[in-house]
This record gives sequence, C-alpha cells and structure tokens, in this order.
Amino acid sequence: MSERAELVRGVGLVKRFGGIVANDAVDLVVAEGDLVGLIGPNGSGKTTLINVLTGHLDPDVGEVMVRGQRVSGRPPHVYAGMGVARTFQLTQLFGRMTVLENMLVPGLARPHSRWDEVARRARGYLEFLNLAHLGHLHARNLSGGQQKLLELGRCLMLEPAVLFLDEPFAGVHPRLREELITRIRELHQDGRTFVVVDHDMESILRISRRLVVMARGRKIADGEPAAVRADQTVLAAYAGL
Amino acid sequence: MSWDYLFVQAANGAVIGVIYALIAVGVTLIFSILKIVNFAHGDLYMLGGYCAYYVIEYLGFPPLIAMVVAMGALFVGAIVLERLMLTPLYSDATERKDEYGLIVTFGLAYFLRNSAVIAFGPFPLKPPSFIPGVQRLGNLIVTNDRLVAAAVGITLIAALLYFMKRTIWGQALDAVSQSRDSAAIVGINARRFNSFAFGIGAALAAAAGALVAPIFSLAPDMGVLPNIHAYVIVILGGMGSVSGSIIAGILLGESENLFTAFFPDPTRAFAYTNAFGVLVLMVVLIFRPQGLFGRRHLRME
Amino acid sequence: MRGLPVYVLLVVAALLLAGADRLNAYWLHVAIIAMYYGILAASWSLLAGYVGLFSLSHTAFASIGGYTSALLVKWLGIPVLLGMGAGVLMCCALGGGIGWVCLRMSGPYLAIFTLAFSEIVRIAISTEDDVTAGMAGLHTAPLFQSATRLPYFYAAFALLAVSLLGMGLMVRSRWGLFLRAIREDEQAASASGVAVARFRILAFAIASGFAGLAGGFYAHYIGIMTPGVGDLDEMAKLVVMTVIGGMERLPTAVGGAFVVEVLLEVLRRYGQWRLPLFGVLLLLTMRFARNGLLTPLWLQLVRLGESRVGPLAAARDVPQKDPAA
Repeated sequence: MSERAELVRGVGLVKRFGGIVANDAVDLVVAEGDLVGLIGPNGSGKTTLINVLTGHLDPDVGEVMVRGQRVSGRPPHVYAGMGVARTFQLTQLFGRMTVLENMLVPGLARPHSRWDEVARRARGYLEFLNLAHLGHLHARNLSGGQQKLLELGRCLMLEPAVLFLDEPFAGVHPRLREELITRIRELHQDGRTFVVVDHDMESILRISRRLVVMARGRKIADGEPAAVRADQTVLAAYAGL
Repeated sequence: MSWDYLFVQAANGAVIGVIYALIAVGVTLIFSILKIVNFAHGDLYMLGGYCAYYVIEYLGFPPLIAMVVAMGALFVGAIVLERLMLTPLYSDATERKDEYGLIVTFGLAYFLRNSAVIAFGPFPLKPPSFIPGVQRLGNLIVTNDRLVAAAVGITLIAALLYFMKRTIWGQALDAVSQSRDSAAIVGINARRFNSFAFGIGAALAAAAGALVAPIFSLAPDMGVLPNIHAYVIVILGGMGSVSGSIIAGILLGESENLFTAFFPDPTRAFAYTNAFGVLVLMVVLIFRPQGLFGRRHLRME
Repeated sequence: MRGLPVYVLLVVAALLLAGADRLNAYWLHVAIIAMYYGILAASWSLLAGYVGLFSLSHTAFASIGGYTSALLVKWLGIPVLLGMGAGVLMCCALGGGIGWVCLRMSGPYLAIFTLAFSEIVRIAISTEDDVTAGMAGLHTAPLFQSATRLPYFYAAFALLAVSLLGMGLMVRSRWGLFLRAIREDEQAASASGVAVARFRILAFAIASGFAGLAGGFYAHYIGIMTPGVGDLDEMAKLVVMTVIGGMERLPTAVGGAFVVEVLLEVLRRYGQWRLPLFGVLLLLTMRFARNGLLTPLWLQLVRLGESRVGPLAAARDVPQKDPAA
C-alpha cells in the first residue's frame, strides 16, 4: 500500500504475565516517516508493547522484525544497533555519570565510532536540547524535565530510524512540554520516525499523524486521528474506565 | 549399611533440619521486611549460643531459661545494631541499598566473628546439657539434648506461626513479608516495624545457637556454615516465605544427613556434606536465578 | 597539569622502587603481601565497583590460580612463569563461566552464588588432599632462586604495575564507560546499545584472571599453598580493604589494600584486636564515608590537576570520572 520503508513490524504479538495477557495478538507496522500516537486506558498494554518492540521483552507468540529482519528473542542492544531507540516511563539515566558521558555511551557503543567524532555529535545534540551548559553535571542532579531531554538525547546518539517515547510528557512542566513537542516535530521533519505513548491527549493529538489505540491488550484502532477519535469502539473503551 | 544407622541419620537430620529452619526463618524475615540479606546472621546464632553459655556459667540459670535470656539479649542487641547501622536504608539519599546491606552485614559478620575469638577464646566451649542422658529405642541411642532441641525448636516455630496469624504485629509481619506493601499501609510505624523484624530474626537465631550448643559445642566460627545453609534454604524455600523456609530447612537437614549416609566414600562424606547444600543451591540458581519460589527480586526502592 | 594524579603515583612508585633495597626482610615481605592484596583489590573493584557485581569468589580465584600453577609445575615440570600463565588462563575461563552463569542473577543472589562457589572450591581443595595436600599445605617451586626477597619485591611491583596499567587503560576507554553504565542501569545500558551480557562475562573473566595472577605469584613466593588462601576470611579481609579505601576506583582500592595491610602489621603488638578494629572501621566508613576514606584525597588530587587546565584541554574531549562523585 505505501512505498515508505517498513521499519518495525510486530506480528501477532502475545505477551503474558502469569494469568494476565498484556498483549493479545497485536499487529503493528511502523513505517518510515510515521508519527504514531499510541494511546489507551491504563493497563491496556502500551508499555508492554513498546518493551516487546524494542527487545526488552520477548513475545510469547509472534515475531518482531526490524527492516524485514527477524529480531525477536535477541537482547535490546541488538535492536538499538539496528536503529530502534526508546525512552522509559520513569527516566532511566546513568545517574552518577555526567550528562556528557550519558551521551557518549550510546555513541561509542556503535561499531566503528571514533571518540572525537562521537564527542562532537554529543555536543551538537546537547546544544540542540539546550543541555550543553550542563555537560559536566551528574545526570541525577538534573531537573526532571532536563532528565527527559537527556534521555531523548541519548536516543538520538544512536542515530535511530525510529524512536519509541514512553510517556515523555508525564509530569512535565508546560513550557518544557512545548519544547519537547517542538523538538519532536523538528526531528520528525528531519526524517525520524516516532511512536509516542502518553496519556496527555492534547499533546498527542497535536503531534500525531496516526493514532493507535489499545485496550485490554488488544489493538482496537489504527489510523487517522480524526477517524479514530470518532470510532465507537474507542469511545467505548475509554468510557468503560 | 544397617537400618539402624539410617534411622539415626534420619533422626539427626530432623533435628538439624529444625535448627536450620529456625535460622532460615530469621533470614527470610529480615530479607522480606528490611530487603537486605543479613550476612551476619550466622554470627548472631553464634552469639546466642555463647550468651546462653555465660548465663548458665555466671548466673546459674537452668539451660532453658538461659536460652530465653539469650533470645532477649540478642533481640535487644540486634535492634541496637539496626538503629546504628541500618538507618541509611530508610533514607532516599542512599543509593544501591542492596549493596549497602550486603557490605554492612558482611562487615558486621567480620567484626563479630573476630571479636568473638578475642572475647571467648578460640577453643570450643560446651555448656551443660538441657537434660542429661539418652533415650534408647532398641539398639538406637538418641541423646536427650537432640530431642530437646527438636522439641523446643518446633515449639518456637509453632509460636512464631501462631504469632503471625493471630496478633496484629504478627499479621503485619506476614503481610509485609509476602508483598511489597510497606508497613505504613498496614498502619504501623515502619521504622519500629523493621527494627522489630530484625530483632525477631536475631532472637530466633539466638535460640538455635543456644539449643545446639550442648550438642555440638561453641566455637567463634560456628556460625559460618549455618549462615551459608541459611541462604541455601531461603533461596530454595523462597525468599519471603516463612513456611517455605521451614519446610526447606527440614528438608535440607534431612537430605544432608541422608547424603552422608549414602555417600560411597565415608572419609570424604562428612566434608562433602556441607558442599551438598551449596551445590544444590548453585544448581537451582543457575536454572532459576530468582530461587525456587522467588518472585522477581525484591528491592528496597 | 593534566594527569597530575598519575604523575604523583609515578613518583611514589619510583621512590618505592629506589628505596626497596633499604628495607629489611620483614618489611619487604609486608610490602610484597601488600602488593598481592593490591592486585586483588584493584581487580575486585573492577568487578564490584565499576560493574556493580558483588562477587564473593574473588579470593577463591586467587586460590585456584595458585593451586593450578603449583600443581602444573609440580607434575609437568614446566617453568614457574608458564605455570602462572596457565593459572591465569584457568581463572579467566572459570571466571567467564561464572559470569555467564550469573547473568540473570541480581545483587544478593549473585553474592550468595559466588559465596557458594567459593565454599565448594575450598571444600574440594581441602578434601582432595591426595592431589592438593589439603590442609597440610602444598609445597611449591619458588619463582626465584634467591637469598633475599628483593627479586620478589620487584616482581610483585611489576605485576601490580602491569595489572594497574591494563585495568586502568580499560577503565579509561569506552569500555570503562560501558561498565559503569551497566552498574548504573543495566536496562538503559542495553537500550543504549551496550552488549550487557558480553561485558558482564568479560569483566568476570578479566577480574578473575588478575586474581589468578596474584594467586599464582603468591603460591611461588610463599612456598606453600593452603586452602586458607581462598577462604571467606580472606574474602572478608579483601572487602574490608577495598571498601575502606574506596571500591569505585582503582587507585583508592589499591591504596586501601596498602594502608590496611601495613596498618595490620604495624598494629601487630595490639594482638587480635586489630581485626575487629578494621571491622569497625569498615562499618564506620560505610555509614559515614561510603565512597571510601581515600577517595576524597584522590579527588583532591584530581581537582588540583584540573584547576590548571588550559583552553587546549577542551579540544580533545576525554571525560574523566567526575570529581563530584
């Protein structure tokens, strides 16, 4: 249907935890240039899906392919190496390492990377994120919002094709949220693909070109935001909260 | 090999099992509630034994009372230690609480063990029996002390289980040890609760030490092996499960003794008895890194 | 000037070397043993301080290295250096194996597992005494035919220097960043492209290899190997030394080993009390100066060095471990 390259494809993904089916036969394709908003009530399996699509969890059934290559079952660093980056719901930084070092780790983890070139790119991204002046601070000493930006920066160091952002707007100051939205848009213009999970409907609707809705482990809608918002099953899912 | 020998081994195994269970229950409680592995637990056991000995020697109390005194002394002593050393575990400023608990209890063990050598001397001491004499069943001889140890041990365990079912603090112990809920939700002062748990664990270890002293005598390093066995039991029985520890403790005691009975080379059998539990532990951890019944590792934060 | 701490270390080292022949046999021995512990402390800090793997089997590896070397030399008649090399290889392999097996184990479980391994090794060595001579002690071939201990001093020095150089280079390279990232947040490290499993195994293999090197040297210096080399008391002593000095950096770890070993000797006249004393010192350090007692000194040195950094330094960005740790 679309000639855009397929970056990440999840096929028939099932993930169970004890008696709970967190992901129930989910199919999802993320194509180049997408800006997907992944939404759904609490407990609908969004974070689990991200974990599966980025290698942090192995699906019980189904496969994950990145650029047509099957990667499900391999550890997360393989996904990262293939251009799949993610942030975490609660920011997970290298707290007692400096901001700069946090950026250097993913940069230097790429094969054939040279230190000076990586450092240069790191400085560049830190400038882009307005964090350059904090380079020598320990990551744990940054404010919550700055930490979120740093996590984004860490993703960028992987030169990823697709970025999965898990609740980037959670608990974030409105002004910083604006900054985040702007950055995401700019990066998207530059050709990066995004999948953003959040409960902040307003922000999601502002940036998304495509909405995917999950409820109780299943994908119940996937398409243009306007259409999805009018979809009865979606309204029912949210109403049944 | 005769049935008699087997029977004796089995009986000994049961006694040892009860002792192991007492020690392991303490480790489990401390782990579930304070979220740290108490590397000094074996040395609390050792101190309990010595405490009872000196109470008998210098205060002339009968052995059973001495055991109770030892339990009380260790209960208080443990709480003091906990207040002194473990308070950083309750502050958010402390990082890597797991590691802190490991190193601090490790250091405590080192301190207690070496102090014991100086304070009590390196040579084994033997307190008087609880009830001197032996029981005979046909050809078999079982010392009274072993019977007393098993009986008292079982009584203490039963008392603990009753306590955990019927009293508020006991139920809180039970609840907090099984789930991640903090004591605050149960409506109890969290810090006092933790100290209490630590104290109970120590008291149980002290009882074990006092019970075992007339049978195996006291030495400053007597806690080293039981310590390791306690971890074996707790990991096999499930970190956080009191009843699991009890069952696993008894099972380990039995299996060790039966292993000794069946090991082909009698001269090596005894040495490898200790290795048996450890080997089982390693194998279990390799295949189930969270232990036999463990949930994902409980963390303080 | 940049790298001031390194220059200071070099000066201290040069002084030590120069003054060595002035020391009497007793102090030479103390210095040699201190350097033995120094290698153990540095390699353990690599594992526990940098990667965050609290292994209690480190001295067991020293024991394995020592026995392997001693036995191979005894049975096959190979030169001692070759035996020591074999000991190192054995420990690398076993250490890597342990690292692999422990991949999914978290903090306390890993500590308990390595403790269990250490006990099994000790029991096996003790019990199989027709092979290892058990508690009676295995006599080993000496590394040098020498009337004095001086060659051993220089050898220990060389080994320590090589070990620190090797580990130091590793720690200042990108690998050092990866190891620390693994300790900070394993999941985030993996998400950042760090092959966590590979590095955990590597760290175990390398650290254990160095422990085996120290053990091999020890075996052919002391002249007799006993199961006590790898027992829990030795491991506890190592933890005490490294944590008191500062387990998160190589120089403070080695410093801790030196200071504690020398103090233990100096305080010998106070008898057995020196051991519990260090236990208390450890507890106080953990409670009030968790980074280690030598760390502030080291950081001060680093700061002094950096205060005179000029504009040239910014050109090549080599991030150091942050002074504000």
